[in-house]
Amino acid sequence: MLLVTHLRKAFDTVLAVDDVSFSVQRGEIFGLLGPNGAGKTTTIRVILKILEPDAGETTYDGRKFSDRTRDILGYMPEERGLYKKSKVIDAILYFAELRGMARGQAKAEAYRWLKRFALLEHAERKVEELSKGNQQKVQFITAVLHGPQLLVLDEPFSGLDPVNQILFKDILLELKREGKAIIFSTHQMEQAEKLSDSLCLINKGRVVLGGSVRDVKKRYGTNSLHLEFEGDGSFLNTLPGVSRSLIYPNSAELELTRDAKTQPILSELIGRLEVRKFELVEPSLQSIFIQVVAGVPAPRQLEAL
Amino acid sequence: MSKTLAVARWEYLERVKSKAFLIGLFLTPIIMVGMGVLPSVFATQEDEETRVIGIIDRSGVTAREFARRMEERYRLANGAPNYSVRSIAVGQTIDLGEAVRQANNMVSNGEIEGYCVVDGDAAPDSVVEYRSRSVGDFRVGIRMQETLKGIVAERRVLAMGLDPRVLKELAVNLDVRMVKLSKAGEKEEAGFEKIFFSAFVFLMMMFFLIATSGQILVRSVIEEKANRIVEVLVSSCSPTELMAGKVIGLSGLAFTQLGFWTIIGVAASVQFGMELINPGHALLLVIYFILGYLFYAAIFIGAGSPLTTEQEAQQVNTYLILLLVLPMMLALPAMKDPEALWLRVLTFIPFFTPTMMALRVPIQVPALWEILLTVVLMILSIYVVMVAAGRVFRIAILSTGKSPSFGEILRWARSG
Repeated sequence: MLLVTHLRKAFDTVLAVDDVSFSVQRGEIFGLLGPNGAGKTTTIRVILKILEPDAGETTYDGRKFSDRTRDILGYMPEERGLYKKSKVIDAILYFAELRGMARGQAKAEAYRWLKRFALLEHAERKVEELSKGNQQKVQFITAVLHGPQLLVLDEPFSGLDPVNQILFKDILLELKREGKAIIFSTHQMEQAEKLSDSLCLINKGRVVLGGSVRDVKKRYGTNSLHLEFEGDGSFLNTLPGVSRSLIYPNSAELELTRDAKTQPILSELIGRLEVRKFELVEPSLQSIFIQVVAGVPAPRQLEAL
Repeated sequence: MSKTLAVARWEYLERVKSKAFLIGLFLTPIIMVGMGVLPSVFATQEDEETRVIGIIDRSGVTAREFARRMEERYRLANGAPNYSVRSIAVGQTIDLGEAVRQANNMVSNGEIEGYCVVDGDAAPDSVVEYRSRSVGDFRVGIRMQETLKGIVAERRVLAMGLDPRVLKELAVNLDVRMVKLSKAGEKEEAGFEKIFFSAFVFLMMMFFLIATSGQILVRSVIEEKANRIVEVLVSSCSPTELMAGKVIGLSGLAFTQLGFWTIIGVAASVQFGMELINPGHALLLVIYFILGYLFYAAIFIGAGSPLTTEQEAQQVNTYLILLLVLPMMLALPAMKDPEALWLRVLTFIPFFTPTMMALRVPIQVPALWEILLTVVLMILSIYVVMVAAGRVFRIAILSTGKSPSFGEILRWARSG
C-alpha cells in the first residue's frame, strides 16, 4: 500500500502541494484529479522523489522510498518523448536495465509488450519514425516492462484515439487484477469515473475531496429520479425524500434528498401511475468537480520566506 | 553501480553508432594530416610542362646568360627544359615603360607566365622584380635568384681578374643541426618540427575530443530535459549515478577515438619510417590527457546542465572552448624556452596543466616532483569540480524554463 501523508512542496512563495494525504491499495486504480495547474504533476514528482518534499512523507508497505526501492516504481511522465534518434527496442531495454532488470529477461518482456501493442514491426525503427500514439505506447511499455508494484501515470490517456484508449484501459484493468497499485492523473472526469476505484481531487494544491468513487458520489452529489408514466402525476412532489421536482404531463424529474431511499418511492407509485421508466441518475464526477472547484479560495500565500 | 554502468553503456553505444561519430573518427585524422602534409606536397610537386618566362634586361648583358643557365640547369622529368626564357627588351637604352606594357600584354594573353626586370649592374645589392599573375610559386623565385646571383658573382670575379672556377671553391655548404641533450647529458635527436608536431598533435586531439564530447554531453542533457526523460531517469537512478554514467560513457567514447587515432598514427609512422615519440613521454602524455579530459568534462557538466536551449549551449560552448584555446596559444613561446618560470608556474594551474605538460614533456621532461605534484593537484581538482558539478547537475536537470543565473549556479555548487 502506498501511503502519502501531509505532503507539502512550495516553489518560491506559492504552495504547489499543500498538505496532501491519500493512500492507494494493491489492486486499486487511483485517480488523481484536478484542473490544469492544480498541482497533480508536482504531487507525482514529490511522491516519486524527483522533487524533495518540504514536509510530509511517502511510504510503500511501511517503508520509505530509497535508492533500493526505486525499482518497484513505474513512471510515465506527462510530456511525451523518448530518445528520438534511438531504436525503439534499444530505448526500451535501456530503461528496463535502469530499473535493474537483467538484459535477457528484459528482451523477452519487451517483445511480449510490443506484440501486445501491435508494435512488433516497429521494434528496430527509430523512435522519431513512429506516430505520436505509437510513441506513447512505447513510453508506456518503458513504465511497465519491469513489472513495477506501483505504477504512476501522468495523463496517460491524453492524445490517444478511442481505440487505443480502450486498449490502455484494458491493460490497466489487467494490471489491477495482477495486484498492482496504479495512480493516474487526469483532468477528464469521465475517464476517472469509468476507471478508478478511488480518487482524490486536488485544486490549488489542496485535496478538496477524496475517497472511493461511491463515497464521493454519495457525499457530494444528490441523486435524481427520472420518471416516465401515464396518469396524473401531480402528487409526486409530496413523496418522501423528494426535495425538488419538475413535473410534466407524462414525465417528471425529481431531485432526492441525500438519505432518500428509492424503494418506498417506487411502492408509492405502483397502483397510482402506469410507470414506463424509473431511472435513478447518479451525479457525475463532472458535476461534483465543477461544484467543488468553483467554491475553492485562491492558493494560500506563504509569509515571506 | 550497475545503473551507472547501464547509463555509461547506453551513452557509449548510442554515440558510437551515430554517423557523426564515424565521420569524426575518420575525417579528423584525414584533416589533420591534410593540413600538415598537403601544402608541402603541392609546393614540392614537380612541373610537368616547360614554363615560359620573360626578361627585360636593362644591363644589356644578363639576358642571354640567364636564359642559357635557366634552360640548362633545370630540367623536367622527361629531360626537356623546365623553363624557356624569352628576351622581351634588352639594352641600356630601352624604353622601360614601353617594354613593361608589352610584357604585361604577353602575360595577359598567356604567351608568358611572368617576367623579371633586371636593372643595371650598378648597385651591389639589388632587387630584381618578378611580375606574374600567380606569385604563390616561390620555387621559381628561388631558382631565378640562384641563377642571377651566379651570373653577377661570375661577372664580378672576372672583373677582379680571377678565374671563375674560384667560385666553386668558395661555395660552402654548412648546416647547423639542433641536438637536444637529455638530463643525463646523452644526446637525443630532436628537431624543432618533431617536438612542435608531437606537442601540437597532442593538443589538437585533446582539444577536439574535449570540445566534441563536451558538446555531446550538453546536448544529451538538454534533450533529456526538454522531453522530460530525465524525470524517468531520476526516478530510476540517483543523479550521481546518472552523471557518473554519462562521464564514463563519454570518456569511453573519447578513448575509443584516441585509441583508433593512435593505431593509425603508429601504423602511418611505421609505414613512412617516421620516428615515434619516446614511449615514456607518450605514457606521461596519456596520463595528462586522461586527467585533463575528466577535468574539463566535469566543467562542461557543471556549466552545461543548467542550460535549457541549444542556443544557450552554443554560447557557453564558445566560452569553454576559448578556455581550451588559450593554452594552445602559449605553445610557441613555450617551445622557445621550456624552462621559463611563467611556464612552470602555469603548469601547476589545473586549467593549464595538461597542455603545459604536453609542451614541456617532449622538450624537457619536468622533474619528478613536478610530475607527482601536478598529478595530485589534478586529481584533487577533478574531485572538487566533479562534486560541484554533481550538485549543480542534481538541481539543474530538473529545472526547466528560464536558465538560472550564474549566481544561482554557484550557490547550487556550494550547497551540499
